[in-house]
Amino acid sequence: MISVFRFFIFAVPVSLLSFLYFFINDNDYYPGADFTVSEMPAFELNALYDNSIISNSDLKGSYLINVWASWCITCRIEHGFLVRLDAQNIPIVGLNYKDDKDDAIEWLSKYKDPYGLIIHDFSGSLALDMGVTGAPETFLVKDGKIIAHFSGEVNKRIWSDVFVPVIKKEKVKWNDQI
Amino acid sequence: MLVQIAHFLSILSTGLFFTTFLLSFLLDNKDRNITKLISRIYSHGFLLLFVSFLIYVFLALNDSFNVLYIAQHSNSLLPNFYKITSIWSAHEGSMYLWIVFLCLWGFLYSYFVSPEDELKAKALGIISLIAVGFLSFLLFTSNPFETILPVAPIDGADINPVLQDPALAIHPPTLYLGYVGFVIAFANAISFLLNGDNKIKWEDSVRIWSISAWVFLTVGIALGSWWAYYELGWGGYWFWDPVENVALMPWLAATAFIHSLSVSSKSKLLRIWTILLSIMVFSLSLFGAFIVRSGIIDSVHSFANDPERGLYLLSFAGILVVLSLAVFSYRLPSLISNKNIVSFSKESFISINNIIFGTLIFSTMLGILYPLIYEYLYLQKISVGAPYYNAIFVPSTILASLFLFFSVDAKWQRTYKVINTHSAMLLSGILSLLITVLVMFFSKISSLWILISLFTGLLVIIRYIFVIVNFLVNKKYSNPYSIAAHIGLGMLIVSIALNSEFSSERAININLKGKDTYKGYEVSFDNLELIKMSNHDSVKASFVFSDSKGKRFILSPEKRKYFTRGQITTETAIYVTPLKDIYITLGDQLEDGSWIVNIQFNYFIRWVWLSAILMALAGSFLAFSLRRVD
Repeated sequence: MISVFRFFIFAVPVSLLSFLYFFINDNDYYPGADFTVSEMPAFELNALYDNSIISNSDLKGSYLINVWASWCITCRIEHGFLVRLDAQNIPIVGLNYKDDKDDAIEWLSKYKDPYGLIIHDFSGSLALDMGVTGAPETFLVKDGKIIAHFSGEVNKRIWSDVFVPVIKKEKVKWNDQI
Repeated sequence: MLVQIAHFLSILSTGLFFTTFLLSFLLDNKDRNITKLISRIYSHGFLLLFVSFLIYVFLALNDSFNVLYIAQHSNSLLPNFYKITSIWSAHEGSMYLWIVFLCLWGFLYSYFVSPEDELKAKALGIISLIAVGFLSFLLFTSNPFETILPVAPIDGADINPVLQDPALAIHPPTLYLGYVGFVIAFANAISFLLNGDNKIKWEDSVRIWSISAWVFLTVGIALGSWWAYYELGWGGYWFWDPVENVALMPWLAATAFIHSLSVSSKSKLLRIWTILLSIMVFSLSLFGAFIVRSGIIDSVHSFANDPERGLYLLSFAGILVVLSLAVFSYRLPSLISNKNIVSFSKESFISINNIIFGTLIFSTMLGILYPLIYEYLYLQKISVGAPYYNAIFVPSTILASLFLFFSVDAKWQRTYKVINTHSAMLLSGILSLLITVLVMFFSKISSLWILISLFTGLLVIIRYIFVIVNFLVNKKYSNPYSIAAHIGLGMLIVSIALNSEFSSERAININLKGKDTYKGYEVSFDNLELIKMSNHDSVKASFVFSDSKGKRFILSPEKRKYFTRGQITTETAIYVTPLKDIYITLGDQLEDGSWIVNIQFNYFIRWVWLSAILMALAGSFLAFSLRRVD
């Protein structure tokens, strides 16, 4: 009787803990990362610099969308890494999120502009459709489908742990127009 | 400079806690001078940590944006109150507060408990070990003292606007005080197991600590529920959100624990249950910290962060749980009482209660983990929601309340005739049935579950009212804290049942100066104005409600846009009456210029919190009464 009881009081927590351990250590698991595939929502918004209209038809192939704002401190911390990605010719579309236009432009001139294209989403409507909860967030889009989504600051480690495996697995070819 | 001092002090205190742990395990605990030495070292460790925290508060008040964490979560425009509360608005700072509270409980314990207590030295050693574990977690993976070099930003990023609220400012600290308060019970239980002398009554010395922690936990959960109701605009008191559930599990375990404790401290029965529950309460608190801080689950509460944190917390909690279970299992044979529990005695009812609560905890755990297991196996996300929890909680709570009803007159270690024509029992049965039938008749409730819940809730309340009457008339003594807390439980069941039956909501489309009717109220959209405030712009609408009797009132919900974060929040407007809340939120404006407005009638929702407060009050009076005895 005692041995059965002993077995159970160990078996239950240990199996629970080991499951959680494997869950966390699984390659696909990363806090803030989401690999559910979804359609890139349809939109029509203005470009940040020249107010020209940007819509889905301007975004073909594979690229990153980075949600940022000038009021976001973490975006500033993330920014240096984005500049480095840009230097490696990785196309990044900026989604300027709930931000004042002049503030955003001033911010970019101060800290360099890594974006090939910037969508000015003042009302946050596109961001809402994409499931953005705050800034910064980064999406990997391939042929109109979001294949990876990371909430929070992208840095060297997140890039190699979250994005690089998907890029390799999905054989992503970057859009060189952006 | 100051931030480095704070950082250094917290490292120093970690060292002192580690020393406390080592000494308590290496030296002879029976020597009271050694116990005194150990508590002195512990207290100094706590004081250093406390000073470090005070410096941090000072830095936050003085807008020291060279500290990364403060720059990310505070802002120079914030009122001082929110500058302080911004410290616990995100992961690093809230973990810091969590640890300070953990050590504070230990400090109070070391201050108030006499060195004659044989368990004290090791209990402090165990608390110190836990403190060392969490301080290392803080310093290595979530350092709140990190600075931005070389140039500090001019201003901070601001606290999330939904957190700029008095209820939310005190909700996390209260909850943390509850979570970590059970460290005293846990440490004493382990110390008792390690000591090996079964004559020591560890249960008596932890009662006051555990009940106080339970009060904090209860109030903390109620505050969170209240805040979510008026601030998030969802209009309910409980959403079975994973993070609500990880707070509920320790609460359930703690409730079972304090009941079990009263048995063990009187007759040493149920000791195995009591020890196991004390390990469980604290492990579940750690599990909660893990779930919230590993980012493993998406929720309003989760802090997005890196997997290292989750792994650290999981390993630390795992080691702690496995070690404590090992000690428990080693000592198990000697703890088995050869006395049997008399059927229909108070002990027997409390062990039934333990089993029901155990089932609830297990089911809640399953509800949290099942989506994870499913995701792991099938790579798909699913969510377990209210229907699952209702299907388990409603019948179990009804069952527990029925047992409670029959246990009111039960005696310690003696059997009693359960089914008798005992007038109080029979009368309360008849009265509850009568009220239920009347309510059913007048309000046409057809749901059987609601009626049964209503009936059991009333049964508990009325039964305890008879106990009070019996006390007033016949001077028959009964435990006043138990009466108050259980009447609170009955009220909770009744108000939840009535709330889910009567509450209703409707979204309406309304133009400025337009009119609509809902549930006998005429609603007219009177005014819309734009207000500019220091840190946000706001659209404020005014709706005039009038009913057929000519009663009129104005509700003004708002939509706010905060400048620094650009975030948009909705401010609900609520008209509170004793029975119902009229609750209105302003939605979006449509292309034709009309506004979407959501109107809710939430019945008995205030009574839900009132019941929780009654339980907490009962607990706090009990804690005070125990203090007097000491």
